[in-house]
Amino acid sequence: MNMVNKSYPENRLENAPDHSLVPPCQDACPLHMDIREYIGLVSQGRIMEALQVIRTGNPFPSICAYVCTRPCEDACRRSQVDKPIAIRSLKRFAVEFGGDRMVRAEAETTHEEKVAIVGSGPAGLACAYYLKKSGYPATILEAHSDLGGMLRVGIPQYRLPREVLDIEVQRLTRMGVEIRTNTRVVSLDLLFELGYKAIFVTIGAHQSLRMGIEGEESPGVIDGATFLREVNLGLKPSLGRKVAVVGGGNVAIDAARTATRLGVKKVSILYRRTRAEMPADPKEVEQALEEGIDIKYLVTPTEIKSENKRLNVTCVKMKLGEPDESGRQRPVPVKGSEFREEFDTLIAAIGQAPQTPDDFGVRMGRGSTIQVDPSTLTTNRVGVFAGGDAVTGPATVTEALAAGRLAALRIDDYLQHRYPLPVKEAKEKLSGDLLPETIEMIRKIERVEPPSLASEVRAKDFETIELVYGWEQAINEARRCLRCGVGVEILFQDKCATCLTCLRVCPYHVPYLDASGTIRIPADQCQACGICVAECPAKAIVLRKPFDRRQVTEELGHTIKSAVESKTKPLIIGFCCQYGLFGTGTLARLWRSAKAGVSIVPVLCVAKVEAAHILSAFETGAEGVFIAGCGEQCARENTTYWVQQRVAKVRKVLEPIGLEPERLQVFALGTTAEDPAEELDKFVEQISALRLASVIKGEVES
Amino acid sequence: MIVAEQKPLEEIRRMIAPYGRVLILGCGTCMTVCDAGGEREVSFLHNALQLAQARSGDVAHTFSEHTLKRQCDPEFLELLTEKTADVDVILSLGCGIGVQAIAERLPDMPVLPGVNTSFMGMTKESGVWDERCAACGDCRLEDTAGICPITRCTKGILNGPCAGVKNGKCEANKDMDCAWILIYQRLERLQQLDKMRRYYPPRNYRTIPRPRRIMSKVDTVVGEGDG
Repeated sequence: MNMVNKSYPENRLENAPDHSLVPPCQDACPLHMDIREYIGLVSQGRIMEALQVIRTGNPFPSICAYVCTRPCEDACRRSQVDKPIAIRSLKRFAVEFGGDRMVRAEAETTHEEKVAIVGSGPAGLACAYYLKKSGYPATILEAHSDLGGMLRVGIPQYRLPREVLDIEVQRLTRMGVEIRTNTRVVSLDLLFELGYKAIFVTIGAHQSLRMGIEGEESPGVIDGATFLREVNLGLKPSLGRKVAVVGGGNVAIDAARTATRLGVKKVSILYRRTRAEMPADPKEVEQALEEGIDIKYLVTPTEIKSENKRLNVTCVKMKLGEPDESGRQRPVPVKGSEFREEFDTLIAAIGQAPQTPDDFGVRMGRGSTIQVDPSTLTTNRVGVFAGGDAVTGPATVTEALAAGRLAALRIDDYLQHRYPLPVKEAKEKLSGDLLPETIEMIRKIERVEPPSLASEVRAKDFETIELVYGWEQAINEARRCLRCGVGVEILFQDKCATCLTCLRVCPYHVPYLDASGTIRIPADQCQACGICVAECPAKAIVLRKPFDRRQVTEELGHTIKSAVESKTKPLIIGFCCQYGLFGTGTLARLWRSAKAGVSIVPVLCVAKVEAAHILSAFETGAEGVFIAGCGEQCARENTTYWVQQRVAKVRKVLEPIGLEPERLQVFALGTTAEDPAEELDKFVEQISALRLASVIKGEVES
Repeated sequence: MIVAEQKPLEEIRRMIAPYGRVLILGCGTCMTVCDAGGEREVSFLHNALQLAQARSGDVAHTFSEHTLKRQCDPEFLELLTEKTADVDVILSLGCGIGVQAIAERLPDMPVLPGVNTSFMGMTKESGVWDERCAACGDCRLEDTAGICPITRCTKGILNGPCAGVKNGKCEANKDMDCAWILIYQRLERLQQLDKMRRYYPPRNYRTIPRPRRIMSKVDTVVGEGDG
């Protein structure tokens, strides 16, 4: 009978690859940052590691932490349950508490080919950073006196403190990027003549669009980009007492709030659609309203007359008509609804376009943008690449950073004569919404907003509005993350006995039987609680991320190893939930090993502690073992139930071995009247007494 | 499915006492489903035995573990050859069939039963199993509306209910439904109450010779067990 001659492949688990899917936040991020990973690290209080993850995916995380428009939060699936995770605020926490400003970037020059970067906005800075990291001598050419582009001249200081930008610029200088300010490039040919082998054109979109109405040239009418540039470069234009801002984008809001901060008493925004169609960040709109800015919806100016140094503005009311090509309803004027209003200044912020010198010789497209191949960023001129607002029209800082990074990669390809490989998604994306039955079982936890300056204080000057989370707030917010796409999978279908345990134990009712009778655990619904992993009698289910699979065993291994090294037996081993429990302070002193003889095995939710793990802890020689979970603060209701099931199972075998059942305890926050820290103290005393008793017994017997 | 229960740890420890190197062998089919001897239970028992040994400081056993997809087929047991090279005993967490299959396959290897094979049954809910079939070899479920009086009636009577039924419950266990009441109710539902009026003669256990064998092919296996 030699039909089967294959032995079971060993260590299949160790060799199993990472099958986690790309979560919606990461997919929505122009920089494709590993958001889930760093939020997870913050929730465990591992801030330095979180910063490392952030820095891997983002050249200037401190800048993004202030100004990112958070497309990730719009995509966050937690919003189907309650509210999205405050990702940007958590990044801000990580960069500030992790010490991003201390991080040193170093780079060596390993290539000879010089690259010129025309423009020093976020795209230019990112391109310089990555080119320099790849070893190219890079030169930034900037028309203004300071680097930063729109970060410097567009975004008001209350949204981005200038020292944050300065630190990034200094870092680039320290890396060896050559910087030439007050240098307006008029011809690319000249740069090639100077020996640059490739040029990245990233001149932004600084030219304000005209409203196209009579009287637009009157004194007292200024465009939004120019106004913000003047203020940001230190000028204080006199605006009078009553200012109107035309437009509904972020520039309009920035201009209005800047005007308020310059002391203007009455600032009105005139927007031709309604609040729902406003392209500005809703949070910024809300803050503007708090600061006393009046927004007039469905209103547009039609004529401006300059009278006695004041502006007499004729406006017309609008109504929403048929949808236009952008999908938004087109505003149409309401006949006979004209009215007049007087203003001292009118700021037109209805959009901007790039202003590319004709001498650059690059082909232009719609709205004076530079035409490029979107996957290589190449223009019609050999060796000339372009990106950022100059290509896309006004867009976000994060998109510009992504363009800068892509440009650096493509310029590297070009200079090394490599065929640019198309960027392929290495991993499968998570798709689909959460099902109502899944949502129902996810515990609602309120979003923690970071503190911010009160509206009456902040409108007076240019102080940064949003403040940083405290440690506890950040951890509580981060643990709301659903960790989309790291759920479980039946890795070993051959082991699966289709016993249906997973289907029966899942708190979210995720596993189901398909028509062929195979059990399926859809990745887009799984919440990665790990209960089915621990309960699967065939050990066929694993978490999709290798780290998550090994965590408990590995951490237990560290504890055992350090006990062996210090030649002491641990008195007590505690499996403690690392989400929150320590970070938020309740058992924080344990974390710092304040209690002699107590060794902590950090776990990501005690639901992942299997019965065999508990036995392994006793095997180290520990006299007592405890499991401390978040109890009522846990993300799911029944964690404690499963922990107690496993504890009961272990106690059943402890007794015949001669270990009293009380040597194994469960502590859960909020489920007992007592403070878990006090309970733990009692436990330690109890275990010490048990050990003493057994020592005495041993002495007597011998 | 065959349902079993792991033996108490003391009993397992007593059984393995004479042996040094113990292979704990799980079974990936019924024993996995009934939580008695799947891969997870194998590793739990492995840990428990190691801990017991460390705590008592008695005979030094060495343990290894492995789980086969099924212990009751010789082809799967072939996969064991490497695993048993340096093993003194196999502690099988398969059902009684698995243990015997190993004994047949490995004539020189002692094999110990780690579970008590209990019955054939089904899952009531997670972690709860109920007996449903006695494998009597003479199925009468047609007449009893799919409810087996042999396993589900405490007395196993074929013409029930008896006089011990009270409020639909059995006199032997007042929490347990009387199988014959269940049969009556279901027959009523199916409009087959006439089946209640029939008399079923007692089964003749003596006509069933053991061990039984089923042959789905003709003339392929001859020898013991065919009556």
